[in-house]
Amino acid sequence: MQGSSRRTGTMTDVHRRFLQLLMTHGVLEEWEVKRLQKHCYKVHDSNAPVEKLEDFIHNINSVLESLYIEIKKGVSEDDGRPIYALVNLATTAVSKMASDFAENELDLFRKALELIIDSETGFASSTNILNVVDQLKGKKMRKKEAEQVLQKFVQNKWLIEKEGEFTLHTRAILEMEQHIRETYPDAVKICNICHGLLIQGQSCETCGIRMHLPCVAKYFQSNSEPRCPNCNDYWPHEIPEVFDPEKETGAALSKPNRKSLRPRPH
Amino acid sequence: MSEASKLGCDPMEAAAAEGEAHGAPASPGGPSEAASTSEAAGPDSRPLGPGDAPAASPPPPPPAAAAAAEAGGDEEDPKAPLQAAAAAAAAAAQAQPAPRAGPAAAGPAAAAPPTAAQLVQKAHELMWYVLARQQRRAALWFPDMVRDVLSGGYKKWCRSILRRTSLLLARVFGLHLRLASLHTLEFSLVRALEPAELERVALGAAAGGGPGGAGGRMPMMGLLLMVLGLIYVKGRGARESAVWNVLRILGLRPWKKHPTFGDVRRLLTEELVQQRYLKYQRVPGAEPPEYEFLWGPRAAREITKLQIMEYLARVFKKDPQAWPTRYREALQEARARRAAAPPTPCPRNSFSED
Repeated sequence: MQGSSRRTGTMTDVHRRFLQLLMTHGVLEEWEVKRLQKHCYKVHDSNAPVEKLEDFIHNINSVLESLYIEIKKGVSEDDGRPIYALVNLATTAVSKMASDFAENELDLFRKALELIIDSETGFASSTNILNVVDQLKGKKMRKKEAEQVLQKFVQNKWLIEKEGEFTLHTRAILEMEQHIRETYPDAVKICNICHGLLIQGQSCETCGIRMHLPCVAKYFQSNSEPRCPNCNDYWPHEIPEVFDPEKETGAALSKPNRKSLRPRPH
Repeated sequence: MSEASKLGCDPMEAAAAEGEAHGAPASPGGPSEAASTSEAAGPDSRPLGPGDAPAASPPPPPPAAAAAAEAGGDEEDPKAPLQAAAAAAAAAAQAQPAPRAGPAAAGPAAAAPPTAAQLVQKAHELMWYVLARQQRRAALWFPDMVRDVLSGGYKKWCRSILRRTSLLLARVFGLHLRLASLHTLEFSLVRALEPAELERVALGAAAGGGPGGAGGRMPMMGLLLMVLGLIYVKGRGARESAVWNVLRILGLRPWKKHPTFGDVRRLLTEELVQQRYLKYQRVPGAEPPEYEFLWGPRAAREITKLQIMEYLARVFKKDPQAWPTRYREALQEARARRAAAPPTPCPRNSFSED
């Protein structure tokens, strides 16, 4: 039997409950995760001191390592809020979705994914997505159906919709980054700062490098003359504010260089 | 601690939402199930062969027969009923190539049995599959598991894979994979909560800001405990009128909608009955017709009499010994439970038989 519980880190009921509930919710924001942690402590072991979240999660991850799953922390591309999800590292394909969706639905997602990756802004218009509906594998899907399937993806936090355009939800990026980088090595964009997969971001108009909005925020924090780290040209975009968990309301954060204010995806 | 070994439990409604409690296994149910189905496993063992067409190897009958023989002797063998049913299901559910975005699962070569590493990998995949389904609140159906995860030559190893998966789920997540219904081969994932834990959760000790799923059930458990307590104190069954007299004290009336519970009467007579916590039946011979509430089988399994006594003591601010007969019964039951269910984990820690 896997000696997972005998190796690094000990699983107690606190950790187990935490995992159960994290799994139930799928993806949680950092403040929700903290609250969840406190709840688990209260329920199981109210006298123990609440471990620091980072160590708590690291502890759990050391046990999950042998199972090829991990609690991953990601940062949402639009406003930099940290989110956590339990991801499966073993499989390279979209297998978490595979059990939930039909073949043609999965293919629709794949097509949407390709369009998003190839796009300049990281968004694919619903018109473009719907236009490929005839080419889907599996049962024939009508456009009306496809619209509903897209909404299903949004509800399940795989895609985000904004003004008729779709992009990847942070959760999808967390889960599928590996797969995306392997499947579309030429088309993917990478952030110049964190070297992670980039779907939405800002780009330098001179040399073309790209950066995530939260990475831009952190890099140019309190810098009155932001310059491209690569070619040193003046950075032409509005610098967003660093995500501050204290200022929970969206209005407090200045919006990045986008067409208009957008509602929170979560 | 493999929950799979408790597959002989009464078929219960598939708890699509997370079941709040698990409690002691119904060991009396286990042996009779295994014994009765082991005969079925015998003649059915051959259909496993054709169902396993891709593997196309002679092995199917011997392991199946061996397993059936084992099932007869070992009353704790979980998979005998499962195997018999799996054989039937295999014939019924054609192995269509499932629309999987194919994780790299290298099936075993034509006649070679899968290596331990491959079995372990399959167990991990199955674990993830179960968790993902659970998250979506989709049904956990054994034929689906076979089609989506155990494709190729793995079906005849479903026993060991399932066992490993249940162990993993129990150890890492504290969840028990339990066969909810033998007929529909549906599984459910329930939380393995200690009885004391159940009480704490039920009485809202973890109240306030708990994540969504837990929040909805807590007040219901409190209500349930109240009704169960009343029934218990009365002896066998409590007339509906008596129950409502008590609930009136809490401000619950059958005709009024309650902010937390909604339609209380429906909750008691339908939902909790459906979930097997209560039984609602007509009192024989009562004219005009009257109904009474009794303990349901699930309540009997998950909630101990001692818990009820402690709960009542707290609610009425009396000592549990104020109900002397009942208290004696509760102690007896506790002693019987402790004798019946050894607290040590299931001894199946080696997989040498695979």
